[in-house]
Amino acid sequence: MKRHFLLFIHYFAQYSKVRMAYKGDFFIALGTSFTATLLGFGFVLVLFSKIPNLKGWSFNELLFLYGFSLIPLGFFNMLSLNLYQFGEVYIIQGKFDRILLRPIHSLFQVLFEAFRLESLQETITGILVMAYCSHRMHLEWGTIDVLLAVVMIALGAIIYLATFLILTSVSFFFEDKVGVVPPVYNMLAFGRYPLSIYNVFIQFLLSWIIPFAFASFYPSVRLLHRSEYGGFYVLLPAVALFFSGLALVLWQLGERNYSSTGT
Amino acid sequence: MQMNDTIVHVQDLCKFFRTFKRREGVLGAVKDLFVREQRLVKAVDHVSFDIARGEMVGYIGPNGAGKSTTIKMLTGILVPTEGEVQVNNFVPHRDRKHYTRSIGVVFGQRTQLWWDIAVIESFKLLRRIYDVSERDFDARMALFNDILRLNDFLHTPVRKLSLGERMRCDLAASLLHNPPLLFLDEPTIGLDVVAKESIREFLKTINPEFQTTILLTTHDLADIEELCRRIMIIDQGKILFDGSLEEIKRRLGKINQITLYLKDRSEQAKIAALNASLALLAQTLSAGAAKQMSANGLHLEQIDDLKCRIVYDRRLIPTEEILRQIVNSLEVRDILIEEESIEEIVKKIYTEGREAFVGERA
Repeated sequence: MKRHFLLFIHYFAQYSKVRMAYKGDFFIALGTSFTATLLGFGFVLVLFSKIPNLKGWSFNELLFLYGFSLIPLGFFNMLSLNLYQFGEVYIIQGKFDRILLRPIHSLFQVLFEAFRLESLQETITGILVMAYCSHRMHLEWGTIDVLLAVVMIALGAIIYLATFLILTSVSFFFEDKVGVVPPVYNMLAFGRYPLSIYNVFIQFLLSWIIPFAFASFYPSVRLLHRSEYGGFYVLLPAVALFFSGLALVLWQLGERNYSSTGT
Repeated sequence: MQMNDTIVHVQDLCKFFRTFKRREGVLGAVKDLFVREQRLVKAVDHVSFDIARGEMVGYIGPNGAGKSTTIKMLTGILVPTEGEVQVNNFVPHRDRKHYTRSIGVVFGQRTQLWWDIAVIESFKLLRRIYDVSERDFDARMALFNDILRLNDFLHTPVRKLSLGERMRCDLAASLLHNPPLLFLDEPTIGLDVVAKESIREFLKTINPEFQTTILLTTHDLADIEELCRRIMIIDQGKILFDGSLEEIKRRLGKINQITLYLKDRSEQAKIAALNASLALLAQTLSAGAAKQMSANGLHLEQIDDLKCRIVYDRRLIPTEEILRQIVNSLEVRDILIEEESIEEIVKKIYTEGREAFVGERA
């Protein structure tokens, strides 16, 4: 465990050096990422200039949800780079061969060989927006609330990661480029708004199939002390555990398939 | 006793791939979506061999013969379809995480270094990955610097290195953790003569010094001639030959070549006479083996005014006899006798396959 933690630090340092080798590129990426986040907020502002409240959600609450959703998303996005290009770079180009030649778990290497450093911006922006909204709403933050928030953010990031890992594992079985990741990636945007505004089908989908609601909506409901879906957040550990377990099993199966077909 | 010295044990190793034929054109691609034609490719087909500790073995074969597939099974990247592999007392694909600590691997076509940053950064991270102590790391780096002269470009980003420099770095990287076994898949591919030489020198140094067992694939037979006492030739998934370079030359090198440098132009007139007497010699000597005697059992050719070449099958006509005829017929300034090059012999094996070994000398 300690060895892996140290290795994580070294992998992170290594990739930071890679990014620093191209400083201009890094700052452009940071600028683009930040602009995208701002535009997202801009959309909420425009929306609320027309409607004062959305299914019982005030502007501040909505902004709080949006802010909170960015925090685990930022952590996930830091690691998502290689998942996004896994099929192309690791399977088709064969970089996975090299992964198998090193004495570290393959998933560790794939996740930590590249970081989208600029995505940390999302986490920071998220925290700031959330703090600002709590202040405007005079939200009470007890010790329990803070601890709960931290745990829920961590589990939320794990849920995002597990969901995309499951999709990524598909690349092991199909040599062809499979386009399931981008559409699901776009579905992340659904998590920024109250689940209650969607129809039953989408609510079910976001809770139990692609469980993004557990990474943003249900935790926010708890932190805002709202009554709707009030107790759902207690299921977070179970959901995170189930999906990451599934992801690990699929990854393992995929790796075995890779080394027996040798793409 | 002998078992203890075996570091690689391979028995009836097979790797079969199921591939899909892709049909041509747009219509073909659409058809492929629904029904795909399967084909079974036997990339490696019942291959067996043992490698002893400290051996340096050349593994050669034409493109697509199964070399890389074998290496991938030996390194644990691929799981064999059938058969047995045991390396360093591990079954490679089964205990990969421990096994990989005991091997070094270089794929000439790909680098394992971090492309965008200084070489030394890759070495430093690899040191962590393989848990090499700082003392061992420094000692090994000093040694590598000595032979491979890495110091000149340790602080250059990998992408800016020449292919030769990159290959030297990759070699060093694969040996940082002092593995007892090194796999090299085409380590000299695309390198110039000097760069090749430096790689060979390095291998020649570490092999005896650290008892590093080396299995290398290559298309450059000079690598083999300089480095390996043993070669294995694979084609279409089957081992065609496993033995020493001398043995293959002895068994398959039939053709010799003699180049004559005439004393002066006046000697030219005597060439026809020499040709006639050699033809007679060939006829008498090969009478018993008439079936094997082909038209090119002996062939004389004038290259220029002062030079001619005799190519002959040394199984049928002793070199000594030919030399006697030459000395009797004309005056020469110099005589050069060459045996068939290993390239020629291997070319024959690649094109003829098993047939090359039919009718060889006993």
